[in-house]
Amino acid sequence: MSEKGGRMFSLPTKTTPKSSLKSTAGKYDNSAKSKRGRKVQFGTEGSPDVNFSSPKSDGKFATPFGKGGKGEKAANGGKTHVAKESLSLELRVEQELPENIKCLMDCEAATILEGIQDQMVILSSDPTIKLPESFGSGLQYAKTGSYFTNPQSVRKVLQSLTKYGVSNSEICVIANTCPETVDEVFALVRSLEAKRSKITGPLKDVLDELAKLKTST
Amino acid sequence: MFFHIVLERNMQLHPRHFGRNLRENLVSKLMKDVEGTCSGRHGFVVAITGIENVGKGLIRDGTGFVTFPVKYQCVVFRPFKGEILEAAVTMVNKMGFFAETGPVQIFVSNHLIPDDMEFQSGDMPNYTTSDGSVKIQKDSEVRLKIIGTRVDATEIFCIGTIKDDFLGVINDPTTA
Repeated sequence: MSEKGGRMFSLPTKTTPKSSLKSTAGKYDNSAKSKRGRKVQFGTEGSPDVNFSSPKSDGKFATPFGKGGKGEKAANGGKTHVAKESLSLELRVEQELPENIKCLMDCEAATILEGIQDQMVILSSDPTIKLPESFGSGLQYAKTGSYFTNPQSVRKVLQSLTKYGVSNSEICVIANTCPETVDEVFALVRSLEAKRSKITGPLKDVLDELAKLKTST
Repeated sequence: MFFHIVLERNMQLHPRHFGRNLRENLVSKLMKDVEGTCSGRHGFVVAITGIENVGKGLIRDGTGFVTFPVKYQCVVFRPFKGEILEAAVTMVNKMGFFAETGPVQIFVSNHLIPDDMEFQSGDMPNYTTSDGSVKIQKDSEVRLKIIGTRVDATEIFCIGTIKDDFLGVINDPTTA
């Protein structure tokens, strides 16, 4: 697809020309080298800051694309050059955060935050304790964003994907976006492309189950 | 995305808080200090869910303050590159639009809005497709992908795109 601005990357399709990647790689090299993944990621003029963040990449873009251009799944630890080559801004949650972190789906977060809000009613006898502003906006987002009322059953349905190597963060993204088709899942969670053949079948079953659990609004 | 995480912090307590309610005072001070803050590593601390462990207090030399290492569980919100989020549009201008998801602000540049959407200025500035079928204006809900994040002292700011498959307007407030 054509884009405004000569330096834009087109977002990943099978027809992404390799030459465009190589020609622009040099321009971003210097800025990429000194930046750690999780600190500052801004591209200029809104152009996508593509994968310069990978801590192991150091701006090396010379290695060729894997087939389909997607490279390895993000949960693979990102140890190879292949992972950072993909233009698709894959979810790298597990690499960037320490291991004891548990990813929450929006519906799970909503349940927890609502529980805390109820407790605040009891604690509110102390006037100095107030819920911060980010709590209110976080709770509202979790409630409006979640399509499901029963997080445990959603979690149970999605757990079946873990045996195919789907990471917890990818499961959370699937739960939060509640996709309707398998194509939508692969479009939104690019890191699953590598396992497409393995998980298409189970994913379809999971999506059917989720559709049944989804609250009708 | 929300996370449940265990964090540790050293809390300093003034001697006037010592006594029967030492632990309660420590917990309320922790809540005041930590809830609502933002860090680059963990994102926004939305709420503390529990205290895992309070270590032994160490008296600081020269003052009466005591430092307690506290381990606590909390819910944090941190946006990630590559994440798909649904956000409510807060402002539209010719450079793009701003949207909000939870405590995080996201900007989508007009370069990352599909080419067939044009900016229309007016009382209610918006981006509209040529046939008028899809409109992005204030209070629209859009699904976007995060492509970059920046953290400063008190907030996280992101850049997003809707120029990809399955992204864009979910809910138009005029038709809702």
